[in-house]
Amino acid sequence: MKQMKVINAVMVFAMMVFASAYAQVTPKLTDPEIASVAVVANQIDVNYAAIAKAKSKNADVLKFAQTMSDDHTAVIKQAVALVTKLGVTPKDNALSQKLMSGAEKTKKQLSAKSGKAFDKAYIDNEVSYHKTVISTVEKVLIPQSQNAELKKLLQDVVPTLKAHLDHAEMVQKEFAGK
Amino acid sequence: MNKKLRRRTIIVVYIFLVFVLNSCSTPEERGRLPGDTATDASSTTSAHKVYSIEIKDMKFDPGEITVHKGDTVVWVNHDMVTHCVTEENTKAWTSSNIAAGNSWKMVVQSGADYFCAIHQVMKGKILVE
Ligand SMILES: [Cu+2]
Repeated sequence: MKQMKVINAVMVFAMMVFASAYAQVTPKLTDPEIASVAVVANQIDVNYAAIAKAKSKNADVLKFAQTMSDDHTAVIKQAVALVTKLGVTPKDNALSQKLMSGAEKTKKQLSAKSGKAFDKAYIDNEVSYHKTVISTVEKVLIPQSQNAELKKLLQDVVPTLKAHLDHAEMVQKEFAGK
Repeated sequence: MNKKLRRRTIIVVYIFLVFVLNSCSTPEERGRLPGDTATDASSTTSAHKVYSIEIKDMKFDPGEITVHKGDTVVWVNHDMVTHCVTEENTKAWTSSNIAAGNSWKMVVQSGADYFCAIHQVMKGKILVE
């Protein structure tokens, strides 16, 4: 009997630990904060594209960068139009800041490279960045958004992000083993 | 619901559907191929058909279409980003940019594998029978 109590206590404690760990990796966001993350995440990729357009001479990389710049700008435009319509002001938050500080580091790494090494680093980063953003949108932003139109916009963006990832992986193959 | 009201509802729904279908069957023309001089008047009086391909969620739907030579295919871009329709092997023809909400049509002369040159993973196929 006493043993049972101990097991119960251990189980409850374990559950509490898991719950708090889960709460830490999955931030709770309000709609204004989700809107901020959405705009920041897209703007970061527009900025990466600007670096590529300035530094790369590879036709496939330049074309890909132009698509990233155009598409992510189009998504920002849609997001801004929606929050304006809803009267929501994007609100800065820990996740937006985390994305921005990560982007600053990456920008420095990219700026230090040139030629083929730059092309490879840019595309490798596009692959991993799109994976991160897809997972953030699917696992955090969509489930947590309260407004139906905001949720719908985020859902509509996912296929675009996935096509970008496929496209980046296609270009990445060019640099494989180089 | 009484009979009269039900009948009236059916009529209203019918008028609405006719209106919607009409507005969908006259897509805005965005571009034309260099050799594509056939006028709309002649194609509507002939037996040629018009097929629609929806560009939605980064896919061509249907991805594969079978038509007869002289039929028209209309691509409608429902996405929020710009797409295009380009012959894949020799770039024999292209729509150029089809902005969000716009469409482009082509009179089909021969079968083709095509893709979106902006998002090269988007592919489609036209078969001519
Ligand atoms: Cu496209």
